[in-house]
Amino acid sequence: MKKAKFISIILVFCILIGGASLWLFAKPDGEISEWERRKLQQFPELSYQTLMDGKFMKEFESYVNDQFPLRDTFRRLKARVLFDVFNQKDNNGIYVTEGHASEYDGNVTDEKIAVFNDKVNSLYETYIKNANCNVFYSIVPDKNYFLAEKNGYPAYDYDYMYSQIREGLNDSIKEIVIRDKLTVDKYYTTDTHWKQESIVDIANYIRQQMGMEAVNDYTEKSAGDFYGVYYGQSALDLEPDEIIYLENEEIVSSEAYLYENDKTVPVYNLEKLEAIDHYDIFLSGAVSLIKITNPMGDENKKLVVFRDSFGSSLTPLLMSGYGEITVIDTRYINPVMMSKYIEFTNQDVLFLYSAIMVNSSHLFK
Amino acid sequence: MVFSSIPFLYVFLPLVLALYLVTPRKFKNTVLLIFSLAFYWWGEPKYTVLMLVTITFCYIAGLLTEKLRDTRYAKPLLFISVAVPLLFLGIFKYADFLLGTVGSLTGAEIPLLKLALPIGISFYTFQALSYVVDVYRGDAKAQKSWINLATYVVLFPQLIAGPIVRYTTVEEDLSTRKHSMENVALGIRRFVMGLGKKVLIANLLGSLCTAYRESADPSVLFSWMYAISFSLQIYFDFSAYSDMAIGIGKILGFRFLENFNYPYISKSITEFWRRWHISLGSWFRDYVYIPLGGNRVKPLRQIFNIMVVWCLTGFWHGAGWTFMSWGLYFGILLIIEKLFLKKYLEKAPSFIQHFYVVFLVIISFVLFNADTFTMAFSDLKIMFGATELPLYTAETLYQLRSYAVLLVVALIGATPITRNLCRKLENTKISTIIEPVVIAVIIIVSTAYLVDGSFNPFLYFRF
Repeated sequence: MKKAKFISIILVFCILIGGASLWLFAKPDGEISEWERRKLQQFPELSYQTLMDGKFMKEFESYVNDQFPLRDTFRRLKARVLFDVFNQKDNNGIYVTEGHASEYDGNVTDEKIAVFNDKVNSLYETYIKNANCNVFYSIVPDKNYFLAEKNGYPAYDYDYMYSQIREGLNDSIKEIVIRDKLTVDKYYTTDTHWKQESIVDIANYIRQQMGMEAVNDYTEKSAGDFYGVYYGQSALDLEPDEIIYLENEEIVSSEAYLYENDKTVPVYNLEKLEAIDHYDIFLSGAVSLIKITNPMGDENKKLVVFRDSFGSSLTPLLMSGYGEITVIDTRYINPVMMSKYIEFTNQDVLFLYSAIMVNSSHLFK
Repeated sequence: MVFSSIPFLYVFLPLVLALYLVTPRKFKNTVLLIFSLAFYWWGEPKYTVLMLVTITFCYIAGLLTEKLRDTRYAKPLLFISVAVPLLFLGIFKYADFLLGTVGSLTGAEIPLLKLALPIGISFYTFQALSYVVDVYRGDAKAQKSWINLATYVVLFPQLIAGPIVRYTTVEEDLSTRKHSMENVALGIRRFVMGLGKKVLIANLLGSLCTAYRESADPSVLFSWMYAISFSLQIYFDFSAYSDMAIGIGKILGFRFLENFNYPYISKSITEFWRRWHISLGSWFRDYVYIPLGGNRVKPLRQIFNIMVVWCLTGFWHGAGWTFMSWGLYFGILLIIEKLFLKKYLEKAPSFIQHFYVVFLVIISFVLFNADTFTMAFSDLKIMFGATELPLYTAETLYQLRSYAVLLVVALIGATPITRNLCRKLENTKISTIIEPVVIAVIIIVSTAYLVDGSFNPFLYFRF
């Protein structure tokens, strides 16, 4: 009996360890993990230099981890054990509740809010204050605002955060409150962002606050299934979302010029459906500076949007009536550089950031 | 490279085991030596030479010591044999601490050496020292083969995080060890259990400790959860590494001694240290405490001896005042127990004895895990409600709910309950099926955790 047990133990070990080891080196290497939205480590360069400075070893360890057979299956198994066996409430910081995946983050500090306020105030004081602009700001709550507290997950004190921002920003920057008009259903279930087709009322409210008329004549178009950022991070079997984008004549006839690529593209860049993050179809994703020209708008009516990724899907809904819309992501462009391309005068200016961005204010250039 | 990593499990280990298996007995040590050096070089290319110099020095010192044992040169030779490896250890581990201390005391600006700490230097230095001292004492014969001695010092299972294997423990195994299917199977079982303890328990407890450290919303309850989790983490982390080392050793035919024996069930601090890091405790006992006179001296001298040993024990763990204080803390507790507390403790109800040990050990690990005294006192103040922080917060309750199952599993796992259950099943028919299945499940689930790249440091690497 003992002998049979010993043989079984040795066989199990040899099959699992030896088998996976052979498989690891026999299988072709993958290049991209769509789940994790990143490139996988390839076999590192082997040289005297890389061996002596430890670079080869470090990269080889990443290589073996990244190229391990059935990697996604193992990640899913880990998530299931974590949730179902250990009864843990999040995996890699992602929790799932009410059908939504969200990233738990209970910490927001006064310092981060202060940095956010300083950055926005600095932009205002330096470039906008004396330019005869109408200036607004709006903070988009992340999904935790709707999900966390009532489901027992830590969350920011949002009221405190909003009040600190209002107190900290220059009084001339008018607040547009949208959080009371949002619900969690207006967000993708597998992603951090809001759904464009669900925020027409939000866009119209912002437009009205800026003195523009509401626009409702949009046609819904589908860009197919959307596996959001939390889908991969949670490593759970979640149902994919669907990306729907809204078109009208003005949006279709407009062009977006991407300064950093020196390239003109449509407002909805469907080439990005080939990329890892399909949400990038909205204003081509993470781009530092974009000028949208709307031939059907009033050429004297201009809008400048300082934004994070939430602004990508909202901005097309703000376009109507404006002849030129400049979209700036200050995570990727230094304000000094920005000022070389934009002259502030008589525009409407909107600072649109998510609460996540306020809590990551160190990312501002 | 740590044992609980994909590269070790699926590249290094199968390669070394396969080659070891097919190599003729005569060359098995050479294979082990080459792979052990590669293992060390993988993580520490620069310092591999330092280790080889230490080994070669001890090899020559051992041969000379044996030749000159009964001459007047024996003691000076022993002094040099011990001093040189300690000098290496001192330069790389303690020099900056001493320079910094002298600088802060005198106000002088003394430039620091800023040398990286060679991985495992405390472990392999102590192993090398045990060899030269044992040869001097006549407890071991000088090793004639450099390869065998080098294999002993650099043997990869215990090279970088122990247990501290004494030369006399493996002297016989180095030349005539036995390989058997039973040893291989039991070694695999031990290794896999260690892997599971490390990946599925210690690492997750570490995540809770990190959550506390990163929290902007701490509380009294959270600080206790942190202190308990860290005490459990360090036990599971270190004992898991010892399990894995002992397991691989067994597969290769070596018999390493146990390093942990359920320390948290102890009823006194004295007992705790007989069950915690046994190889370090016994090393200090045999190579420091007993040579200083041990128990066979006057009480005051005995107290002095104890304090020396515990000061060194603390210092062995790290070049810092917090580590030194941690050692002295235990030294003082052991003296108090020895002088009068032990007799009262023995009469106390069992739960009081356990509470006494667990409470004092938890406090000790708060000090151990703090970078500075300020940090340690801050943690302790929070734990004992001496701050404005609330009893609990929403984050505390969240973490408690999230880690409750793990904490219960870890608390049970820190006692012999599971082992006793396994022993009852050991010779039953069902264990023939259950054991391989459990081993397979642990390998698969641990791999899943490792593939996901979760938190995975080894706490004892820094020593």
